[in-house]
Amino acid sequence: MSRIEDLSTFNDVRERGVAKLLPGVPRIAVGMGTCGRGNGAEGVYHALAERISYYGMDVQLVGTGCFGPCSEEPLVNVFIPGQPLVILRRVQASDADRILSAITTGHVPAELAWCKVEDWDHVTAHFKYGHGYPELPDWRDIPFFAGQKKIVLRNCGVINPDDIEEYIGVGGYQALYKVLIDGRPESVIEQIKAAKLRGRGGAGYLTGLKWDFMAKARDVEKYVICNADEGDPGAYMNRNEIESDPHALLEGIIIGGYVMKSTKGIIYVRSEYPLAVHRLERAIEQARQYGLLGVKILDRPFDFDIELVEGAGAFVCGEETALIASLEGQAGRPRPRPPFPAEQGLFGRPTNINNVETWYNVPPIIIKGPAWFTETGSARSAGTKVFSLVGKVRNTGLVEMPLGTPLKTFVYGIGGGGAPGRSIKAVQTGGPSGGCIPQEMFDTPVDYETLAQLGSIMGSGGMVVMDEDNCMVDVARYFIEFTHSESCGKCVPCRVGLDVSLKILDDFTTGKGTAAQLDQIVELGRMIRDTSLCGLGQSAPNPVLTTMRHFRHEFEDHMIAKRCRAGVCGSLALSPCENSCPLHMNIPRFLALLKQNRLEDAFESVVMDNPLPASTGRVCQHPCDNRCRRQTIDEAVNMREVHRFIADAIYQSDRFDALAARVVARKLPATGYRMAVAGAGPTGLTAAFYLALLGHQVTVYDGKPEAGGMLRYALPEYRLPKAVLAKEIEMIARLGVQFVFNTRIGFDLSLNDLGSSHDVVFISIGTWKESWVHLPGTELKGVMPALPLLEAVSRGEAPPLGRKVLIIGGGNAAVDAARTARRHGAEAAIVYRRERKDMPAIAEEVHAAEQEGVKIVFLAAPHRILGDGEGNVKALEVVRTRLGEYDRSGRRKPVSTGEVIRMDCDAVVLAVGETVDADFCRASGFSLTEGGTLVVDRFTLETSRPNFYAGGDVISGASNVSNAMGYGKKAARIIDERLMGAGRLAQVLPGFDYVPRAPDQLSSARRHETAVLPAAERAQSVEEVAIGLSAACALEEARRCLHCDARG
Amino acid sequence: MLTTTGRAAQDAGEHAFIDEVIARRAGRPGALLGILEDVQEHTPHKYLCSDDLRYIAARTGTPLSQIFSVVAFYALFNREPQGEHTIAICRGTACHTRGSRNLLEKLRLDFGLTADADGAQADKLTLTTRDRKFTLRTVACFGQCALAPVVELDHRICGHMNEQALAREVKALVEEKRS
Repeated sequence: MSRIEDLSTFNDVRERGVAKLLPGVPRIAVGMGTCGRGNGAEGVYHALAERISYYGMDVQLVGTGCFGPCSEEPLVNVFIPGQPLVILRRVQASDADRILSAITTGHVPAELAWCKVEDWDHVTAHFKYGHGYPELPDWRDIPFFAGQKKIVLRNCGVINPDDIEEYIGVGGYQALYKVLIDGRPESVIEQIKAAKLRGRGGAGYLTGLKWDFMAKARDVEKYVICNADEGDPGAYMNRNEIESDPHALLEGIIIGGYVMKSTKGIIYVRSEYPLAVHRLERAIEQARQYGLLGVKILDRPFDFDIELVEGAGAFVCGEETALIASLEGQAGRPRPRPPFPAEQGLFGRPTNINNVETWYNVPPIIIKGPAWFTETGSARSAGTKVFSLVGKVRNTGLVEMPLGTPLKTFVYGIGGGGAPGRSIKAVQTGGPSGGCIPQEMFDTPVDYETLAQLGSIMGSGGMVVMDEDNCMVDVARYFIEFTHSESCGKCVPCRVGLDVSLKILDDFTTGKGTAAQLDQIVELGRMIRDTSLCGLGQSAPNPVLTTMRHFRHEFEDHMIAKRCRAGVCGSLALSPCENSCPLHMNIPRFLALLKQNRLEDAFESVVMDNPLPASTGRVCQHPCDNRCRRQTIDEAVNMREVHRFIADAIYQSDRFDALAARVVARKLPATGYRMAVAGAGPTGLTAAFYLALLGHQVTVYDGKPEAGGMLRYALPEYRLPKAVLAKEIEMIARLGVQFVFNTRIGFDLSLNDLGSSHDVVFISIGTWKESWVHLPGTELKGVMPALPLLEAVSRGEAPPLGRKVLIIGGGNAAVDAARTARRHGAEAAIVYRRERKDMPAIAEEVHAAEQEGVKIVFLAAPHRILGDGEGNVKALEVVRTRLGEYDRSGRRKPVSTGEVIRMDCDAVVLAVGETVDADFCRASGFSLTEGGTLVVDRFTLETSRPNFYAGGDVISGASNVSNAMGYGKKAARIIDERLMGAGRLAQVLPGFDYVPRAPDQLSSARRHETAVLPAAERAQSVEEVAIGLSAACALEEARRCLHCDARG
Repeated sequence: MLTTTGRAAQDAGEHAFIDEVIARRAGRPGALLGILEDVQEHTPHKYLCSDDLRYIAARTGTPLSQIFSVVAFYALFNREPQGEHTIAICRGTACHTRGSRNLLEKLRLDFGLTADADGAQADKLTLTTRDRKFTLRTVACFGQCALAPVVELDHRICGHMNEQALAREVKALVEEKRS
């Protein structure tokens, strides 16, 4: 250890540092940041140390900081002389032997190796490790790192933060040396100005200007402060920077001290970051020993020292005047500016405060020059910014990107998108001072100005991704609760305004919000923003104002429909499963009744919530699975199969008549109102069921010869047997619902006629028009749309499919068509332009189709259909696609590769989606959307014509059975309420002596799946494939329920 | 029960410690925060009693009102004795979006800490069980967002928590102490 006093001693230390980083023996560095430790890095380090000493190996083992990708921790990097540096991920203590034995043979363990670094740009130095490991990807090719530019994080995860010599080895303290030798502080300030460096704490003020004010201030004492009170929840970049590279921070501050003619530096750091505090203490101690802090730094006439002060848990102390008050031994309350700290700061002396990350940018600007710095970033926002990317993305961690990078690169590129089956809704930037940016605006470049235009701010760099499971009203409330409890209380707008805001938001999350409050909270937010004393209050309303701007519909859902779609606002839902169910079935109740061996009550509970339970029990998309809290233990409760079991048990028993009578007995007295339901699909049947129960006289019209709609005519027998559906429709008929078949609305009977003979008309005609693909060759014989094909089969006809059928599409209709073709003895292949995970079809159905021999060709789009001389289909040409940019749905757009493949076939089935055949609606004067669906009020379902309501696919576009039925139920409730002046649905629904409570005995069994016929057997027959759960399995499933409906 | 002389001896020891801390920190920026942090950490139940605050006021020449104002303002300072074990639930954004409120509510139920002293359902809280076994507190953010939701049990960070795992960790905490 030596004090550096001249160039030669400086170079000696530097050489020693280089020798440690590029030793003649293998070097293993374990990522020992807080994230690494939280994932077990200490165990890895100790295991390696123990094994190295046991084997007596000549290996250098060090701890390093964090390399960024937190979700891959613990990370270890391995350097074997002459070879690239290799990053190992998800390393466990038990991997120690494997790593060391690989190293002894000159290799790295293949199963842990993630990527390699052949050369590394420390900005202040450039390291070449070596070439090799052709099988390993370069680190820049890993999606998480693609496009990152490490200026601030230049040394993080590579050097040992506890060793000053390693920092000097990568060019550290060289900028300080240069500045001190040059002896021209004013030119340094000019460089910082020219680099357009802006404060990285959030406000984005020009650092060079701030330094200039301070340099010109005259006083006997001046203070230079680093604000490391990183308080934004969801942001931890400063913690990581300090833990991984503390000397780079010190160097920046010392340079600042010199050019601003200060002798005292202070780092105000959060006490919640003990490791950062510890590493800074060590770094300061080492810097003193090497003559880089203290008197006569680098033997020049410059004295400067740094003190470390730990904060005590007050968010507002991130505000500079509050931070100063805190340092003076006061409560951290801000004061008005001016005077600015540069004039009157700590103890009344001139003071400069910069954020941690701002200081990290100083040495690179001095070494590489301002022109180099402004090459990166956008015109007004130069350089990079470190962001903590967390929340609902696959890859989380710290990322350093050029300013101006679009938001979607963060979310979909680096973050890898959301969890499977969940769509991303928004990104929250800037913590409690920032706002939520909706998914439609992910093209937004991330820089100071653009984020401000959207009502958010860059802030310290927190980026929290939210998906459909997050409620934006709850998010707004969360941030207001935070700023409310962190408000210092000094000024009225912030203290009282946030209190009132919080009460209003509480009303919304509990369904008590009003339209007046919607306006009030915006007005209040503007007032708080404009009149608060400090940045905390001025920015506190941002989360509310942005969610109101971009997610107003969620506030309206809470206010009008009393619904929280995300299922977060607990008092608006029975349980997460009930909330996710379009029919709002009381799922925990029927599970509990089944557990109590009350099968008939369970059936009544089910059928009164859902009049087609045997059908939905077979074909529902089961959104409840995605929300089930049992997933936190193992897998979701199989709620769909249990309610199928309950329905089947009654329908197949001699108790059907008795239970049907129980349902009919619940009917209210006749009201005298006459209702027409146009369309006997699941939407219309559900509406008819509830309207009849409520005492109205209901007639259902349909163009087909029987009721059921898509359930009967599109779903194949092997998925939903016609006999099962018939039983359910019989129940509805017993309520007195009349059916008029073979009568097409708009052709055989006009909507106007229906309207004049009924009090209310409910339109639920579905989506029966198959979208046509504009391809050469669709006119050929053997090209057919999926729906008419399925419908013909349901009537018992044998379609002209030939021996080989190709189906274009990826939805349920495509899968149904393929499986139907198999049952008619044809080979079937599905051609889909995206990947498996993007298929809209139910995953279980896709799996079953493949078992039955259906082939699926992914990443292929139809190009043209070829015919023979007689006009018959003979082949389909497809073009191979690859996945390009992310589109609005968060899926990657298929892009043509130009490679065309010919696939021979006898028939081509088009299953690319269905639309509303709405010509007759237009003729009757209804408003239609651009997508061709009927326009309705989304809360009342009323169309543009009074007393005409609509629901199901005709308003939503092609969807699924439970969504369709949900509309039918909602329509019946609203129509009745509007006619009768009060909500009466609750009157017909049964109450049970059921008290929700947490289960005494929770089953530890894994999820039970339905038994299925063997694939070989079922491809030959139309027998139902899914047999259902046995009574014992259904009971066990019910016992797996955690009963989220229980209230503490 | 301590005898009078025993208490006097204990006070003397405490005062000597406080004197030493003041000597080390006085006159420097952030001195008062540092003194209070050191004294609280040194106290067995990690809190600041009125006697100690009065002593600090007298020795540093700081008005007692200012000291109380500072202690009341910062979340780190406790005015009540803390439990044997401290469980801190992170209420940062990432943890919130991944369900930390449920964890907090579950532990409040388990520990019988359902209502605050003032009956409020505030989210920023420090509550100690009657038997002083557990202190349950919330933290604004640990900066461990990639591990969300995060709970700290006696200074050990546990990531990716759910209700079952948390119950196991709490049980282990009690058993560890016993063995």
